[in-house]
Amino acid sequence: MNPACQDLEVLLSLRAAGALDPAEAARVEAHLHGCAACRAEAAASEAALRLATLPPPSDAERSAVATLAKDALAELRRGEARAASWKRTTAAFVAAAAVAAFVLAPALLRKPVHPAATVPATALAQAQDGWEAPDLDTLWSDADVLDLSNASASASAYGYGYGYASSTYASSSYDATDALAVDSDQ
Amino acid sequence: MRMDDERHEPKLRLVAGGAASARREEDALVAAFLVGDDEAFGELVRRNETLVLAIVRRYARTPDDARDLSQRTFLRAFEAARRSLRHGPRAAVPFRRWLVRVAVNLGKNHLRDTLRVLRAPLEVLDERAAGDAGPTAADALLLRERERRMRAEVLRLPRRQREVLTLRVDAELPFAEIADALGITENAAKVSFHHATRALRAALAEEDPS
Repeated sequence: MNPACQDLEVLLSLRAAGALDPAEAARVEAHLHGCAACRAEAAASEAALRLATLPPPSDAERSAVATLAKDALAELRRGEARAASWKRTTAAFVAAAAVAAFVLAPALLRKPVHPAATVPATALAQAQDGWEAPDLDTLWSDADVLDLSNASASASAYGYGYGYASSTYASSSYDATDALAVDSDQ
Repeated sequence: MRMDDERHEPKLRLVAGGAASARREEDALVAAFLVGDDEAFGELVRRNETLVLAIVRRYARTPDDARDLSQRTFLRAFEAARRSLRHGPRAAVPFRRWLVRVAVNLGKNHLRDTLRVLRAPLEVLDERAAGDAGPTAADALLLRERERRMRAEVLRLPRRQREVLTLRVDAELPFAEIADALGITENAAKVSFHHATRALRAALAEEDPS
């Protein structure tokens, strides 16, 4: 491949995608006219991209998104309702924790009599009985609270510089951060 | 409410052409939606649903997957737009840019999860019919097999190359917009596209030395 051909390498790929501006196209066509090697290159790129291209959306795909606007709005409202309900739950949980701490603190802080540590251990167990119910992992991940810091970090890494966007609407099997993250697996 | 004007005069939004005015219209629609105008939400979805479907269907195994991914893309993008607007109008990112970026990433995550569940190679994802079939059934079968392998190769490309390639081939976005959505320069996007094309050609030549 001669130097003139090498200069055109990227343009030949862009040509196969129909992405040349008129000036570039004129330059490439002029070269292709006299260069069989580059014509073969161009044909090979076009063939590869054609095979990689998806067929147009099927009727089934089109009808699957036919009510997208309505469905998405309904889901959005459900998400808002869930978020509001989660806030109430959290508030109640925090209030209950505060009360429990207030009530139990004297028992927990009292100096143990012999044998050592039996009283605090019992008190602690009792405290946990009434207190441990919410599964913290679930609460955190439902609310994407932990993801906020990651999402902000990846946003900054991309130069946007402001926090975005884990989502309160995320279904739990998807990691909200990943949706916007720089990447995790490559 | 000021933004209510938008709702009653949708024609105003549709008449003007050009990317810049389209962006202003979408900004106005996002703002209208964020103050409670549901019709603005619907309009934004309708304007962009073809784009989003074009991006996510590459990663979707079934039409239902495509619908779920499309829906989640819009919800995430709205949330991103809402949060970014809290930082003032100067921090505003065009809604379309959020959509493109979110769609690509949700698609990738979906693919990863699907493969984890299926424990099967990428090729099983692709049950789409072949494109233009040849004159015989054998030709059609061969073409379909080559398409299937090539689409699997697309999904095996390094992340950046895959993103650029699919945004160009599937969504037919200009390279400037691809670059904006991915946070890279236009030139870097073009070079990534070139590398992706080379990688696909190499895979094709390997499987099919003829």
